[in-house]
Amino acid sequence: MDKRVTLRIADIVKECSDVRTYIFQHPLAALPGQFIMLTDFAGGEKPFSLAWCNDQEFAVTVKAVGPFTQRLATKAAGDIVSIRGAFGSSFFISRHRALLVGGGYGTPPLYFLARRLLEAGAEVTVVNGARRSDDLLFCDRFRRLGVEYHNITDTGGSGREGTSVNLAGELLKTSKFDYVYTAGPELMMKSLIALLQDQPCQFLMERYMKCAIGICGNCTVDPLGLRLCVEGPVLNREQVERITEFGVYHRDAAGHRIKFTDRGEKIT
Amino acid sequence: MCKGLKTNFLGVELASPLVLPAGVMGMSYSGLKICVENGAGIVTSKSLTKLPRSGHEGPVMAEVPGGFLNCMGLCNPGLEEGLAEIAEFKKLSTTPLIVSIFATGREEFTELTLAANRSSADFLELNLSCPNVFDEFGIPLAASREQVFEIVRAVKEVSRLPVIAKLSPNVLSITDIALAAEAAGADALCLINTLGPGMLIDIYARKPVLYNRFGGLSGPCLKPIALKLIYEVYSSVKIPIIGMGGIQSGQDAVEMKMAGASVIGIGTAIYYHGLEIFNRVNQEIRDFLEESGYESWQAIPALDKIRD
Repeated sequence: MDKRVTLRIADIVKECSDVRTYIFQHPLAALPGQFIMLTDFAGGEKPFSLAWCNDQEFAVTVKAVGPFTQRLATKAAGDIVSIRGAFGSSFFISRHRALLVGGGYGTPPLYFLARRLLEAGAEVTVVNGARRSDDLLFCDRFRRLGVEYHNITDTGGSGREGTSVNLAGELLKTSKFDYVYTAGPELMMKSLIALLQDQPCQFLMERYMKCAIGICGNCTVDPLGLRLCVEGPVLNREQVERITEFGVYHRDAAGHRIKFTDRGEKIT
Repeated sequence: MCKGLKTNFLGVELASPLVLPAGVMGMSYSGLKICVENGAGIVTSKSLTKLPRSGHEGPVMAEVPGGFLNCMGLCNPGLEEGLAEIAEFKKLSTTPLIVSIFATGREEFTELTLAANRSSADFLELNLSCPNVFDEFGIPLAASREQVFEIVRAVKEVSRLPVIAKLSPNVLSITDIALAAEAAGADALCLINTLGPGMLIDIYARKPVLYNRFGGLSGPCLKPIALKLIYEVYSSVKIPIIGMGGIQSGQDAVEMKMAGASVIGIGTAIYYHGLEIFNRVNQEIRDFLEESGYESWQAIPALDKIRD
């Protein structure tokens, strides 16, 4: 359902210099991996995956990267925004041994997933990677959950040095996991595929979204035509392996194809 | 596909009379392709403009009882890349395709038509009626008989492809506009574009819900108006009509056929029923043919014309 609702921001938590978590007191019926569309009525409406969601509240974590998110960074508790959603597919909730591999800004939706996995009785291992230790999101929150938790950064710092994919590869060799989940930069997720054994894996994919209800076609992926706002954003390994644009290009607001950079970032 | 659904549109055989309209799922070749896989008989590209357009800032979509307001704002990758998506679609599918173009006047329409001539599209649609770009371009061209006549005639002079004029319901007499398009040589008409536009206000923010303030109305609430306008136009013109507006079922599609449309567009219903809507409507039409004894879609007669 579209279900637009106008809310006051209940609280804002500053995660690091340019990342904030916005908390709303509203019972949103949403599952891990799903997203909302959020606007502040000043131009722009963007998709954000839920960082958590329960009967009382939900939260999204936003990095200030463009005009819209930079404007969000100037908001205070009590300010009004409007949301639609939640939209899209959600992560399968395994009851067994789960490995969660997050990179940078992709980590918050995995936190929501980790909570639901634990509630379902799964054994959860989390690999949280970022470029620098300052950029590692949700470390304390993960630690408080009591999951097996690993930090890793390009530069070392507060944890291991390397990438979350390197570390995930080691863990996959030494332990048996029944289910793998990943969210983060697309090239990071792509390089993880090669390290998987035969276990199922789900990917949280991002594309430019406009209508969020499966009509406008802006977020369809080639060559399957899957709409990431309806059939995604959570896709199975079998789907992702058939998406030829995965890790190669994405489309901007005009539908223009833009290649991913070497670091797996999107140029906007 | 059942023989009964086969239909001839402007000399081209379609497996189904269902059309994917412009602006819906048509941004990429894969979006077009998946609609064909789900049972669409013709697909339409996004309306292409000379240069790329990002469209309006969001929110661009707002739900109302019985439909949606949208103000996408003609987002498209521009003619060159849009035609490349069409070429890629055509490599994978033999399903007929309508290339839709939007321009601000005769010369630009002619220029885009010349480019479309070199594409692998089967039909050319002139979007004369986008209701969501008032601020930029003023009143849609489809509001003026003279403008519609002049543009259709100029395009017909140079177009290799059959020309379809997409008309707006937001005029005093759509029949006058339709007659002007026909007189100028249009091969078919497409109606109706979205209604209005309308607006919604957020009372807590004291702001319009859509950032563009206004957006065209689509969805099931449109059907009676679409039927009336199609019936009115059908009564006056001889060229075929692509009918659309609020279609959600095989019964709706047959109703619109009886109003005088030859083929039927399905857009907003994708939200309510998923992409499977095309196959479902195809099946419901087949069921209707069987229970009513018509041998084919084409054999379903329209109502008597108003002036008969």
